[in-house]
Parts: sequence; C-alpha cells; structure tokens
Amino acid sequence: MTSALVELKGISKAYPGVVALEAVDFFLAAGEVRALLGKNGAGKSTLIKILAGVVKSDSGTIKIAGEIKSFQSPADGIKAGIATVHQELSVVPDMSVAENIYLGSWPRRNGRIDWDEMHRGAAEVLLRLGVTIEPKLSIRKISIAERQLVEIGRALRQGARILILDEPTSSLVAHEVEVLLAVIRSLSASGTGIVYISHRMDEIRKIATSVTIMRDGKHIATGPVNEFSSRQVVEMLLGTKDQGAQKLTSNVAATAPVAFSVQNLSVAPRVVAASFDIREGEVLGIAGVLGSGRTEILQALAGLRPFKADAATLRGKNYRPSNLAEAMACGVIMTPEDRRGEGAVTMLGIDENLVMSNWASVSRFGTINRSAMVKKVTASIRTLGIKLARPDEALANLSGGNQQKVVIGKALNANPKILLLDEPTRGVDIGAKRQIYELMRQFAERGFALVFVSSELEEFCEVCDRVIVLRSGHVTAELSGEKITTQRLLDLTMGEQREHN
Amino acid sequence: MTVPTSTRAEENAGLGLFLRKHANEAGLFVAIAVLYTILAVFAPNFSTAANLLNILRDAAFVGIIAWGMTLVLISGEIDISVGPHVAFAGVALALFAQQGMNIYAAALVVMLLGACIGIFIGVLRSYFDVPSFIVTLALWLALRGIAQVMSDAVPVVIADYHFQRLGSGWFLGVPIPAIVMIVLFFLFSFISTGTVFGRSVYAVGGNAEAARLSGIPVAKIRIQVFAITGVLAALTGVLVASRLGSGNSGAASGLEFDIIAAVVVGGTSLFGGRGTMLGTLLGIIFIAALVNGLVLLGVDPFAQGIVRGFVILAAVMVNIISIKRMRI
Repeated sequence: MTSALVELKGISKAYPGVVALEAVDFFLAAGEVRALLGKNGAGKSTLIKILAGVVKSDSGTIKIAGEIKSFQSPADGIKAGIATVHQELSVVPDMSVAENIYLGSWPRRNGRIDWDEMHRGAAEVLLRLGVTIEPKLSIRKISIAERQLVEIGRALRQGARILILDEPTSSLVAHEVEVLLAVIRSLSASGTGIVYISHRMDEIRKIATSVTIMRDGKHIATGPVNEFSSRQVVEMLLGTKDQGAQKLTSNVAATAPVAFSVQNLSVAPRVVAASFDIREGEVLGIAGVLGSGRTEILQALAGLRPFKADAATLRGKNYRPSNLAEAMACGVIMTPEDRRGEGAVTMLGIDENLVMSNWASVSRFGTINRSAMVKKVTASIRTLGIKLARPDEALANLSGGNQQKVVIGKALNANPKILLLDEPTRGVDIGAKRQIYELMRQFAERGFALVFVSSELEEFCEVCDRVIVLRSGHVTAELSGEKITTQRLLDLTMGEQREHN
Repeated sequence: MTVPTSTRAEENAGLGLFLRKHANEAGLFVAIAVLYTILAVFAPNFSTAANLLNILRDAAFVGIIAWGMTLVLISGEIDISVGPHVAFAGVALALFAQQGMNIYAAALVVMLLGACIGIFIGVLRSYFDVPSFIVTLALWLALRGIAQVMSDAVPVVIADYHFQRLGSGWFLGVPIPAIVMIVLFFLFSFISTGTVFGRSVYAVGGNAEAARLSGIPVAKIRIQVFAITGVLAALTGVLVASRLGSGNSGAASGLEFDIIAAVVVGGTSLFGGRGTMLGTLLGIIFIAALVNGLVLLGVDPFAQGIVRGFVILAAVMVNIISIKRMRI
C-alpha cells in the first residue's frame, strides 16, 4: 500500500427527512480498485457526489493526497484530480473523439483551435488507455462502450488521479466489459485510484482489489475482496437476516391457464434467449441488475421494440405485435419506468390522464361524454385511493406516489389482460408503495396476469408469486412462493449462484 | 341579516378557484377593459358603434386562423406559412373564377387545397421529423412565390358583386367575416374542450411520449391540426379576396405574426400543452383594439410598430407572471 490518495473522515449528510450519510470514513490508496457496494438508498451516490464536489457534506473532512480540500463545485473536484464517469454519458455526439477528450479546453494557437495538437494529444491519451479509436471520428460513429472510453480518456487528459465509475458495465455487452476491465487494470497499474460501483459480483471479483459495503447511510465494512465470501457480502448488504415485510402473495394454482408464454425471446441488444410464461392471476417479477434487459423485455411485449422468438403466445394465440397499438388491442399494457418523461402529461388534469388510454370508453363519435367521464374517473380515484382536491386539478400537484397511481390507473382503464409495470415504485414513499402492491394484487386476483420489474429486490418478496432472474440475456433462475427471498435474489442477480448450488 | 360564515367561505373559495383556474383570461379581460377605457377617453371616435364593428371585422381576418393556430401551438408546433397561404388561396380562387369555374365551387376547391397543404406540413413533421418551423418557413417563401408567379404579381380581379358581399357585407348589422369568426370560435371552443381530438392535442403538446404510450395517435393528431389550420387559412384567403374584389399575391403580409402574437397574448404556451380559445379571443380583441386605437390617436405608422411590439411583450410577460403566481 502506498500513501492514501483519498481520505474521507466522518462524512455526514442529511437531506430533509433522511440521513443520507452518517459519519462515513473512506480511504483509497493510489492504484487501488475499490468496489463500492450498497443497495438503493444506501448512500453510495451521495458519497461519490461529495467526493467529486457535486454535493457538500454537512460535516467531516476531505483529504486528497494528504491535502485538506473543501470543494465548492464539481470544477474544484476536477481540479483536485477527481473524475466521475456516470451511466448517462456526457459526450457531445456531434463532435469528434478528440474534441470530446479536450471538451471545453481545446488547445489553441494564435487564437485558433490547434487541430494537429488536439489530434496528437487525443491519440496519446487513447494509447495510454490501450485502446484504438480514431480521434477524428465523430462520436455518433462509435459504440456506447467506446464513448465511455472517450469519457475516461477525457478524465485522464484532465489529469484525474481518482476515477469514479458508476455502474460502468450496465450498458455494455460481454466483450466490451473485458475491454473496459483491461483499461481499468492499466490505469490502476499507473497509480490511478478507482472507485467502482457495480452489483455484478463476478466483475467485482475480476477487477477489484478491495471492497466497501454500505447500508442505510453507514459504512459497514471494507477489506480485500478475497476476504469476503459472496454470502457475507449479501448479508452485509441486507443487514439483519430478517426478511422484513410480510408477504401479500396468494399462491396461484399451478393449474391456472397460461396467459402468456414465450420461448427463446431475443430483443437486441441485451436479451439473447429468454423463455418464461405467466399464468392468469399471477404476479411475475423479473429481477436482474441494471442493464440486464428487464425493461427491453417489457418494451418488446408492449410492441415498442422488435423481438424474435421461437414461439410467443398470448392466451394460446400467436402473439407478434408490430407496434404499440396492436399490443394494446390485445390487452397488453405497459407503464414506463420514467414517470415524468413518459408516464403522464403532468400539466393536464388527473381526470384526463386517467382516461387518456381509453377515450373510446367515455366518448361517442369523438365527443366526450362528461357524465360517463366523471363516473369512470370517480371510480378510478376510489380504486386507486388517491387523495386530491379536485379531479380536474393538474397532475403535477400530486405527490410522486399518487402520480404513479394515476399512471397505473390509466393503464388499468385500458382494460389490460396483461399489465407490465416497469419500476412502478421508483421514487415513491413507503405508504404509496404498499398501496401500489395492493393494486397489483387486486388486479391479479381478478384473474389477470401482471409482470413487475424493480431494482429493489425486497419488493419481489412482498408482491410476487414467482420471480424469474435475468442474467446476460438469459433467464437463469426462477423462484416461487416462499423461496423468494432478497438474499437469494441478490445471489442470483449478482451471478454467484454456484456457491449455493 | 346574518350569513353563515361557512357559506361565505365556500363562495369565496368558489370564486377564488374560478379566478385561479382562469387567471389568464381574467387578467386579459382587465387589460382589455383598461385599454378600452383609455382609448375611449383619448381617441376620437373610438367608442362609436361603427368603429367597434370595424375592429371586429379587422379582428376576423386574424381570428379565423387564430383558432387553428391555437391548436397548433397547444400541440407544441408552429405554422408561420398562414400569411402567404391566405394570399395564395386568394390568387388561386381568382384564377379558377377567371377560368369560368363557379366562384363558390372554386372556394371549396381552394379550401380543400388548404387542407392538403396542411397535411403536407403534418406529414413532413410527423414522419420525416422536419421541425414544423422549417417546413412552414419553406412554405412561407414558396406559397407567396407561387401566388406571384401565377398572377405575375398583379391583382386578379373577381368581377362578382354577389361574392364580394361575403367579405365586405353585413348580416344583422355585423360584418360577415366577424360572424364567421364568432361561429368558429364556439365550434373550436367545443372542439378543444369537448372532443377526444381536442384533448388529445393538449396531451400531445404536454408530453408527446406519454401520449403515444397511452395509445393516442400522435402523428395523426399533428397532421389533423395542420390540416385544420390550412383550411382556415384558405377560408380567410377567400374572405380577403372577396373583400378586395381580387386575388392579390401581396395580401395578408405579416398576418402570421399578428396571429401568433394574438394567440400568445391569449396565454397559449409556445412550448405546447397549454392554452384556451377564450384566451385567444381576448388576445385578438386586445391587439385589434390596440392597432385601431393607435391609428385613431394619429400615431406615426412607424412608431405604431414600436408600440405594438412592446405592448405585446408586456402583455405576455404579465400573463406569464400571473399564471406562475396563481398556479393551481
């Protein structure tokens, strides 16, 4: 171990109502590759934001290479040699690779951009990364994986000594992951400290030298990666072994008719060959890490993405929707994960959002039947248990949880036979979560099928009859009833099930 | 004489709610009242019946298209080709008539053509992702160009006295174009609030992706909105030609910006999703009265542009601020 590159001591941060970090210590040596693990809300992102200068901590000290720092802005963080590469890449697509590597500080000579110097410098940076990308190429012409490398190249060019990678492999395919891991190894060998956030244990074992586990805003453990078994990691991520919430599930009879069935479903680029079926009256969960293809499967079923399959049947009939309208006509309805961006028209009234998916039910010859609409909306609001002042008030006025209920209500009003919910509980408070689970169960009890996708594994235990696990494009495991536990799911999604088998 | 306080509170809540929901319209109404009072005091002959009817007729040529433009802006699009479209429709009408076609049949053909032009805009926007500003900018140039080529930039006379009454005549003491505008106002108020199509326009403008995922045919809605505006522009072209007694390739110069200004003053968002027909009506009346008043006050024509520009800017700013304050 060389000297400490990063020394965070007693870092705390509170947001209104929540303590995001509580007296966390974090040390990182030069050349160390540290895997940072924690469930959603464990405080990982707050910690790296504080390290990068994006967020100010309430208390604690930050030392970079032995010097005490007080970051006021991300620019200060960059100056101190800290760079973050997020899942959402920040490259300018219409500029060249070299321009992106030098973004904002293009070399100049006599007041004009010195293209030769820029191309030479970019080539040098890429050479140091050990990758071959033509500096003059437009970003549009290169893959997502290469764009990520360009961003790492930019960090290197800015003189980054500490590189934070936030779930860097979530949008990469297998051979691209290998390239990235090789780059990380060579950076580490040249003394760069790396913070690697990921949930894929197999990757972590390959690349990380040490691991830090966080839970509920606290530092739980740090140590060399080979000193922790995967089981220990999972236990530390979850905390006490109790499984927490009670289950709402009613077991579906194995004789219930199959609502939907698919063999070797392939959805480019991530889903290779997934086979599963859903019974009527069943809540099926799809678990998998970010980028495992869960959303792609839902979008394919909803007619939003082309897919291939050996067989796909909906209630016994061949099911090949070529667009959203066809899928909706078959009764397959999806709610998107991005509520604000895709789920609802927040500037319109709650009432209109609720009936938007099925205007035909409240209109005649294109003219809205007010009394039918009021009736339908009143019934929906009662079912959904939404608290509101008036049905026609703007949806934007509701809390996130209630907005989500409206999005689900809208889908329910389209009379779905199969409901596909993509992260329906993201950003929703605990009370609303429970109500959403109940809505899901009610829907299933009426004999319909429901597919549920979530990043929070605990949720599957509470609401699903059965869960399939998605990994590298395949359904790799299936759990049902009592066997659905967070620990088991964590093992299976992170990909070290062999330890238990 | 005691009134239960709860009732009064409820009444206040009712009125308050009404005002909050219609903050924009209420604010404009006050602005118009103030403007009328000032002009009635300072501008000679402003408040005479003849002049007010004049304002109404001038407003009609802006107003008829403005109903369609309101839908266009609510859907998050823009159409700047309507001014040249009016000129084009007038010239086409006059040329058809010169060829011996019945003038009313020709009017129908021109309106059909207007729908086709609108569909063209909508298709390029929806299926080729060309921004509507660019498509209509191209048509803004092309349509007036076509009108000038077709007519050699000389007015094409329509010698039909009966037809001329359409644009310049009166019915029950009201200019006929104004009647057309008012009838269309009620029709479009109904379309925008009471039909699936109208509400879908709001949904598309408010969040096109959410609308699409809810099964709303976004492309079709956009095409329809432009087609409607095309028909209204052609109709205005017919009325203008009737009023002038000729098809004139130079007619309606700058009309598109008067219309967009009226719609925006009326509280419709340029970003889509928000706006009302009543707001547009008030915006039209406000601008028409302002223009008329400036003339009557004898303001220098060049200076009028300056005043109009800044008054429109002020009106829109007051509007935006009042909506933000009273956000429900």
